Amino acid sequence: MPRRSSLPVTFIVPTLVILLILSMVPTLYAIVIALQNRELSSTAYSYVWLSNFYDLFFDRRFLNAVWVSVKWEVVTVVATMAVAIGLGVLMFEVASPRLRNIYCLLFIVPVLLPRVSAAFVWKFAYHPLYGIATYPYRLLTGGLIFDPLSKPATALFAVASVDVWQWGLFFAVIVLKLLETLPPQPIEAARLDHARHWQIHAYVTLPMLKAPLISLMFVKMIESLRSFDLIYVMTRGGPGVATETLDMYAFSQGFIESGKVSYASAMAVLMMIATVITFTMLWKRVQA
Amino acid sequence: MRPPYRMRPGRLVGKAVLAFACFMAVFPLLWTALNSLKNNVDIITRVPRLVFTPTLANISYIIGRDSVMTGLYNSVIACGVAVLIGVVLGLPAAYAVARYPNRWAGDIQFFVLSLRFLPPVAVAIPLMVIWLQLGLYDTLAALIVTYSLLTISVIMWLAIPAFQSVPKEVEEAAFVDGYGAYSVFWRIALPVAARSLIGAVAFSFVLVWNEFLIALMLSSSNAKTLPIVASELSQQGMNVPWGILNASVVLLSLPPLLFLGVLSGFLNSVFRQKKT
Repeated sequence: MPRRSSLPVTFIVPTLVILLILSMVPTLYAIVIALQNRELSSTAYSYVWLSNFYDLFFDRRFLNAVWVSVKWEVVTVVATMAVAIGLGVLMFEVASPRLRNIYCLLFIVPVLLPRVSAAFVWKFAYHPLYGIATYPYRLLTGGLIFDPLSKPATALFAVASVDVWQWGLFFAVIVLKLLETLPPQPIEAARLDHARHWQIHAYVTLPMLKAPLISLMFVKMIESLRSFDLIYVMTRGGPGVATETLDMYAFSQGFIESGKVSYASAMAVLMMIATVITFTMLWKRVQA
Repeated sequence: MRPPYRMRPGRLVGKAVLAFACFMAVFPLLWTALNSLKNNVDIITRVPRLVFTPTLANISYIIGRDSVMTGLYNSVIACGVAVLIGVVLGLPAAYAVARYPNRWAGDIQFFVLSLRFLPPVAVAIPLMVIWLQLGLYDTLAALIVTYSLLTISVIMWLAIPAFQSVPKEVEEAAFVDGYGAYSVFWRIALPVAARSLIGAVAFSFVLVWNEFLIALMLSSSNAKTLPIVASELSQQGMNVPWGILNASVVLLSLPPLLFLGVLSGFLNSVFRQKKT
C-alpha cells in the first residue's frame, strides 16, 4: 500500500459526513420533539420539557407495551435460535451435500419476503374458517373453530411464529455453514470415543461455535426490534393490547388515535436510549 | 472421511423433520400463489381446495389498478435510487476502511453498525416533522434520502469484509506495476470482490424494498410504496375478494425472490472465506 494517498480521505469523509447528518439530525430532533407538546392537528407548540416522559410512567398502556415488547424479544430470539440450531444440526447430520444445497435454498425463501407479505400469507393461513393452518384443527375436531389471532393468550405467539418462520429457517442455513467450517478432527475423536450424535454437538461442535452463535443471536435481537410490520398487518396490536409493542403503541398514539406526536416521540426516544445502551454494551462484550 | 452411517430410526425421523421444515418453508407461499389464481368461491371453503378452475381475473385486476402501479413505480424508483446512492457512497468508504487501516477504523465500523440499533419509529417521527416543514413530506425525494441512510450503512457494513478478503498481494503487485491508489480500487479491488459486493448490494435492495414503517409514516398519497398499497388493500374489510389480496402479495414478493440465487451465493462465499 502506498504511504501517502488522498484516497482514504476522499473515500471516507464525504460518506461519513452524510451518514452523520442523516442519522444525527433525526435523532437529535426526536429528542427536541419529545420535549415539546406537538400534535398533528395544530401547528402551535411549546416546550413542556420532561412532562411527556413523566406521563409515560403512569400510562398503563405504555407499561403494557414495554412488557409486550420484552416478551416479543425473548420469545422470538429464543425460538429462532432453537429452530436454527435444531435444523442446522439435523442438516449436518443426515443430509447429503446435494440435499443440503436444496434445503439451504428453500430455507432462505421466507426471510426474503417482505414482512408485509409474510404477515398476509399467515393471516390467511390462520383464518379460523378458511385458513390452511387451522384446517388440521378443524379436521381433527370435526369443525371446531380455533382463531389464534383473536385470542389474547395466543395472538402474540401466532405473530411470533411468523417471525420465527422467517428467521429461524434462515439462521438454520447459517448454523449449517458454521458447522461445515469446523475442522473434522475433534468430531472424529469424539466419534471414536463412541459419543452419541447429540453429545458430539452438545459438548464439542456447539461450544466451538460459541462466539459466532452469540453474534448471530445479537443480530436476531436487533432484527426482533422491527416487529412493527408483522403486528400492524396481522393484529394491529390487538386483541385489546395483547400484541401492542412499543413501536405499535408509539405509532397509534402519534398517528391513529390522538395525533400526539411529541408523546409518541418521547416513547421512541426512550426506546432508542434503551436499545443503543443495551446493544452497545452487548456488542463490546461480544467483541471482547 | 466420515465413517459410513448405519440406517437407524433416528436418522429417518431427522430426515422426516427436515422434509417437513422444507414443506413449511415454501408451502404457505405456494398456497398464496395458488389462491391468487382462484375465484372467491374456491378460497372461502372450509376444506382447502386443490382442484379448481383457475382464473387470471385477480392478477389482471391488480395490474390494472392505478394505485398498485403507482406503488410499484414508487418502490422501484425509491429503492433503486437509494441503492445507487448506497453503492456510490458506501463501496469506496468500505474499501478505504478495509485497506487503509487507521485508528478510527474500529469506531467507524461500530458507528455504521449502530445505525441499525436505531428504532425505525424513532427516526420516522422526527423525519416526518422535518419533511413537513421543508415541504417535502410525501415525496419520493424524502423517501430516497431516508432510505439512503439504510443502504449506505448496510452496504458499507457488508463490503468491508468483502474488500478485506481480496488477496493483498494482488493489489500490491498492481502498485508495483505503477497503478495509482484510485486505479487499484477501480481496476483491481472492485472486479476481484465483485461477487461478494453484488451480494451486499442485493441484500440492501431487499432490505429497503421490504421496508414498511418509514414508508408508512413518510407518505400519505403520492409517495406510497408497494408494501403500503398492499397493506391498504387488506384494510377494506372482509368483503374484498381474497384472491386479489393474494395476487398483490405475490406481486410484492416477486422482486426480492429474484435475488434468491445471488444471495444464497453470497452466503456461500462469506462462509468459504471463513474456512480458509
